[in-house]
Amino acid sequence: MGRNNDRDGARRWRLAADVETRRSDKDDLVAVAETIKNTRLLKDEATEEKGDRARMASFVGAMAIADLVKTTLGPKGMDKILQSTGRGHNVTVTNDGATILKSLHIDNPAAKVLVDISKVQDDEVGDGTTSVVVLAGELLREAEKLVNLKIHPMTIIAGYRMAAECARNALLQKAKDNKQDPDRFRSDLMKIAMTTLSSKILYQDKEHFAKLAVDAVLRLKGSTNLESIQIIKKAGGSLKDSFLDEGFILDKKIGIGQPKRIENAKILVANTAMDTDKVKIYGARVRVDSMAKVAEIEGAEKEKMREKVQKIINHGINCFVNRQLIYNFPEELFADAGVLAIEHADFDGIERLALVTGGDIASTFDNPESVKLGHCKLIEEIMIGEDKLIHFSGVEMGQACTIVLRGSSSHVLDEAERSLHDALCVLSQTVNDSRVLLGGGWPEMVMSKEVDELARKTPGKKSHAIEAFSHALQAIPTIIAENAGLDSAELISQLRAEHHKDTTNAGIDVISGGVGDMENLGISEAFKVKQAVLLSATEATEMILRVDQIITCAPRRREDRM
Amino acid sequence: MAATAAVPRASSKTESYVDTKRRDDVRQANIIAARAVADAVRTSLGPKGMDKMIASANGEVIITNDGATILNKMEVIQPAAKMLVDLSRSQDAAAGDGTTTVVVLAGSLLKCSLSLLSAGVHPTAVSDALHRLSIRAVDVLHGMAIPLDLSNRDALVKSAATSLNSKVVSQYSSLLAPLAVDAVLSVVDPAQPDIVDLRDVKIVKKLGGTVDDTELVKGLVFDKKVSHSAGGPTRVENAKIAVIQFQISPPKTDIEQSIVVSDYTQMDRILREERNYILGMVKKIKATGCNVLLIQKSILRDAVTDLSLHYLAKVKILVVKDVERDEIEFITKTLNCLPIANIEHFREDKLGFASCVEEASVGDGKIVKITGIKDMGRTTTVLVRGSNQLVLDEAERSLHDALCVVRCLVNKKFLIAGGGAPEIEMSRQLGAWAKELQGMDSYCIKEFAEALEVIPYTLAENAGLNSIVIVTELRNRHAQGEINAGINVRKGQITNILEENIVQPLLVSTSAITLAAECVRMILKIDDIVTVR
Repeated sequence: MGRNNDRDGARRWRLAADVETRRSDKDDLVAVAETIKNTRLLKDEATEEKGDRARMASFVGAMAIADLVKTTLGPKGMDKILQSTGRGHNVTVTNDGATILKSLHIDNPAAKVLVDISKVQDDEVGDGTTSVVVLAGELLREAEKLVNLKIHPMTIIAGYRMAAECARNALLQKAKDNKQDPDRFRSDLMKIAMTTLSSKILYQDKEHFAKLAVDAVLRLKGSTNLESIQIIKKAGGSLKDSFLDEGFILDKKIGIGQPKRIENAKILVANTAMDTDKVKIYGARVRVDSMAKVAEIEGAEKEKMREKVQKIINHGINCFVNRQLIYNFPEELFADAGVLAIEHADFDGIERLALVTGGDIASTFDNPESVKLGHCKLIEEIMIGEDKLIHFSGVEMGQACTIVLRGSSSHVLDEAERSLHDALCVLSQTVNDSRVLLGGGWPEMVMSKEVDELARKTPGKKSHAIEAFSHALQAIPTIIAENAGLDSAELISQLRAEHHKDTTNAGIDVISGGVGDMENLGISEAFKVKQAVLLSATEATEMILRVDQIITCAPRRREDRM
Repeated sequence: MAATAAVPRASSKTESYVDTKRRDDVRQANIIAARAVADAVRTSLGPKGMDKMIASANGEVIITNDGATILNKMEVIQPAAKMLVDLSRSQDAAAGDGTTTVVVLAGSLLKCSLSLLSAGVHPTAVSDALHRLSIRAVDVLHGMAIPLDLSNRDALVKSAATSLNSKVVSQYSSLLAPLAVDAVLSVVDPAQPDIVDLRDVKIVKKLGGTVDDTELVKGLVFDKKVSHSAGGPTRVENAKIAVIQFQISPPKTDIEQSIVVSDYTQMDRILREERNYILGMVKKIKATGCNVLLIQKSILRDAVTDLSLHYLAKVKILVVKDVERDEIEFITKTLNCLPIANIEHFREDKLGFASCVEEASVGDGKIVKITGIKDMGRTTTVLVRGSNQLVLDEAERSLHDALCVVRCLVNKKFLIAGGGAPEIEMSRQLGAWAKELQGMDSYCIKEFAEALEVIPYTLAENAGLNSIVIVTELRNRHAQGEINAGINVRKGQITNILEENIVQPLLVSTSAITLAAECVRMILKIDDIVTVR
């Protein structure tokens, strides 16, 4: 284009230029444009979108995703049914943003970015998976307006960056840390757990579950290894019947004729075949010429098994847990030796068991001294609901514990597990980074106020973007209020007025439907969660804003298998 | 089913999600679908409730009155409707009875929620009110409950009979109810008096005879023949029973093997060796004094051969073959013996003792009965008979319900009146309580309290009574303080239901109301259906 312009300019001086040349030049231009249009850079089915169109596509996609999960935000957020199109049309009912987003079919690349940040949020801090998507959606919505006002995306990004930094500092200043005082710290944890749970299905029994979660996390003593907290789901009973059990529960049966209760157990965890050690060379076979010899070989096989069992017993154990099946014959041998043998424990089960009892997973038994045995004080059979389970108590690793969830149906149980998992994640993060904030839209309002101030001080177009950021932050309390069926415009303006004072604890009290003191209501959130929401939402927005072209590659052609 | 078609499943390749439906529409569609399910089972409630015939896809026909079974077989697709099916399953797991009640109750609560929603109440407000209601309702029920002593066999029989009265087999309730009670009580472990494992009660079905011939067997029953192809004994007294997990057949190694035969004499020798081998095993068995063998089924090789059966018959050992592996635990528990997995371990101390093992012919088939077991474990067996397969299956389901009822009573030793009395009482007390409350809760709870009347209403309707007259009279009687007044379906009027011996376990009622409330709340909270991978 530039060169053409130059040529046009130059031509202006040559007024005498005849009409002929001009016309042919114009034809030239048209021809060039034609050729550009007709030249295919990309494959047949690949598509390309540019400039405004591309930006619009990503805005629309991202906002649609945000709108989808918007209604699940806050204590009065709604649930979604996820209906699988696969076999069996499985139904999941959930309120967890990450779970919803993870299972969607998504074509839009910008929407995928949002799904990714929600996933990362889930892995990193466990909660705030909905908030992060909603915030990013709102930031994009504001950005779209600015783009329409012909503000360059880069300017918007610069403004958002400043605003995010400022918001983060505002949070840092307001965050409280009660790590030194164990009682206050515990109550902080309780509050955080309750706030997390209040938007979930466990809402009605949140105190009970908050206590469960806090107890479980405090047992971990600062480690964030949630592996040692085992969650077992058993249908029947109501959510309130859920309990925390110290020790480990294995959902398996004890072999027939074996002791049902062992004190001071020495446990060998193994992954070995307990049928026969077969010769694994293909085509190996035994050739004999009489029946007695077949019987001999059979006897020898039995004898081998007996030796193996004897070796295992020689470890001085009284409990043997195997990942694979234990056949009748070895089972009987174990029973004769008074050893409790558990067969067919799943991978997860034995790994955890090995972890909590402090033993190794063995697969050969020739060197008893080199195998580390697991220990626990007591193994017994317990009954939960209609099922019998095996309970290991007094295990080596003191921090291990099991949460047994009870509930009326599998939907309730699955959702309860997800909710509890969120709470556990948040709590374990909080134990490490013990700074807390108030909840109920309070942090957003605080940030929004600071960011507003910044906007006023900042000269230039960036201030528009900064102001927009503050707007986007306010959207979160707005949505919380809307989901609760409250008059959001009224509440937000009240809240803003409250926050104009220097120190305030005002936030949205969804239960009473007004502005309330979050400190008194005991609504707290972990600093780490809020910070992660803020930063990753801003980053995601920035990434999407930078896009000005979307190229969709041609789908890989499948071989026709007909 | 019209309900399943109510929400068309919209999914196309390019659509990333379905967001075209308005949220209220989704909620409404869910509620309507769920109510359609509830309406489907409504007519089977109560002693005069009707049965449903279900023809499954593979041509099998089931006739039943059991709510859980009906819903299970319905193959519902709509997700909210599926939740009601799960609801009845949960009730089945929790209490075993009241599976229809819980669904009808949920249907009525949903209907009421729908009208509240259309009046503009926020769904979460409805849901919260429902939660408060369910807690309060359980309190009301506890207030009505009558404590029960397990030694009071009559009361147990009565409540089992109430459960059976609504079934096809109701005319046999006088036989089945005491049977269920005895069965459960005999497996209660004195050390843990609150826990009953119903797996310790084995139900064996055998076609032929009538339900009248159903009996409780103190011992073991196998739905199998004694194998007497070789003319072995069919009746053994003072039996010494061995449960074996090895095979009495020619040896077979795990590694592939082949016997090379090169001439005629070798063949003879091999045959002889085979005979000697088996004979050796049989002799070892006989040496311990064992005279009854229960042989576990084997997939790797024949558990017994004709030859071994012949030898076993010669030494007068009764053989039952093809015992499933998962039955072994029950058998060993009952016989108080240990399974034997190898001939080398065949010792007398692993045997079980019984005074009599015999084959009895029942109907067109034969069964093996083991009675008079020494030191019998806490298990029991019920032999159910019926004139055709449909009756037999239904009898088994009904018996299961009755067993569950008795189990509930063992877990939670309280009884409550039946015949719609608890529901009316809940409705009355909650209605009064609603007047003390303020705001949305009061409004919602008042509506829900009325919705509870659906149970007596349906009971009366199914019995062909004038339901409005009956329910209003019932309300009146309860207002006057007769908390145990209920519908007497037999007489077609209101009486003190306790005098009619219509009682049910408290657990059935409490779990019905809490589960129904929980399920309805879950449905209310849903505002979107998202199609996912």
